[in-house]
Amino acid sequence: MQAPKGGRSDQVTADAVPRLDQEAVAAGSAEIDAVSGATYTSAGYRQSLQSALDRAGG
Amino acid sequence: MGTVFSFDVRGGDPAAVRTALADAVAALHRADEVFSTYRDDSQITRLARGELTVGQCDPEVAEVLELAAEAERVSDGWFSTSYAGRLDPTGIVKGWAAERAARRLAAAGAGGVSVNGGGDVQLLGAPGPHRPWRIGVSDPLRPGRLAAVISAAGTEELAVATSGTAERGTHIVDPRTGRSAVTDLLAVTVVAPRLTWADCWATAAFAMGSRQALAWLEHLPDVEALLITAGDEVRCTGGLAARLG
Repeated sequence: MQAPKGGRSDQVTADAVPRLDQEAVAAGSAEIDAVSGATYTSAGYRQSLQSALDRAGG
Repeated sequence: MGTVFSFDVRGGDPAAVRTALADAVAALHRADEVFSTYRDDSQITRLARGELTVGQCDPEVAEVLELAAEAERVSDGWFSTSYAGRLDPTGIVKGWAAERAARRLAAAGAGGVSVNGGGDVQLLGAPGPHRPWRIGVSDPLRPGRLAAVISAAGTEELAVATSGTAERGTHIVDPRTGRSAVTDLLAVTVVAPRLTWADCWATAAFAMGSRQALAWLEHLPDVEALLITAGDEVRCTGGLAARLG
C-alpha cells in the first residue's frame, strides 16, 4: 500500500481536499451519528457536537 | 478517566440490551478504578510503585500491558506506556475500554452499536438496514464544524480515533525526549477496524509529524488516516477517499 512520493497518495490528497471543504460547509446537515475529535474532557464535552447529538437523540 | 462515553445502540431484545449496557457502564467505571494513574490506590499506581505484581492485578491489567507492548513495537516506540519514567498505559486504556463496551453490546444481540469514548469511536454493525454509521471528524481550526465525514458502509466493524491538540492543549509526549511532541500536526484521525489500535496509531502518528506519520500509516494494513497540519492542510492516506461519506 505504500505510495511512492508523487504517487497515488498525493493525487488522492489533491482530490480529497475540495471534498473536505464541502463537508465543513455542510456540517449541520451531514446526518452524522457521532463525532471524533481530539480528547475532550468532561467540561469540553458539554460544548461538543457529540453532546448536541446526544441531546437530539434523547 | 475524566471523560464522557456516549452510547448509541440499535436493535436487539430491549431487556438483554439494557442489561448489557449496565454491564458495559460498570466495566468502564471498573477500568477507571483499576487503570487510573490519578488515583493513589489504583492497581496501576500500585503496580508502578512495586506494591503489586501483574499477577496480583485483575487479568485485564496483563491484557492491556500486552496490547500496549505490541503498540510500542509496531510504532517503533512512538507509542509508549511510560511517562516520566513511570508505567502509564493511559494512552491505550480508553480505546480498549470503549471497544470492549461496544463488543459487549453486540454480543447481547444489538444490531448496531456506536460507543464514543471522549472523541474516539467504535462502530459495530449498522444503525439500520439501509444506512451505515456516519462519523463526523471535528475540524481543529473551526470549532463546531467538521473536517470530514467517515462512513462505515460495507464494514461490520470500524473505529475512528483522533489525537491532537484541539482541546487539552499539547498533551502528547514524544517518548524519545519525554517532552511535548514537536509536530507540525493539529490532529490525526485514524480509521481502522479496532478502536484499541486506531487510538494507539493516532497517538503515535501525531508525535511523528506529518511526513513520517503518513508514510508509516500507509504501510499499516487496514488503516486509513486523515492528518490536519498547523498550516490548515489536509493529508490523507491513499485509501481514505473510499471511506469519506
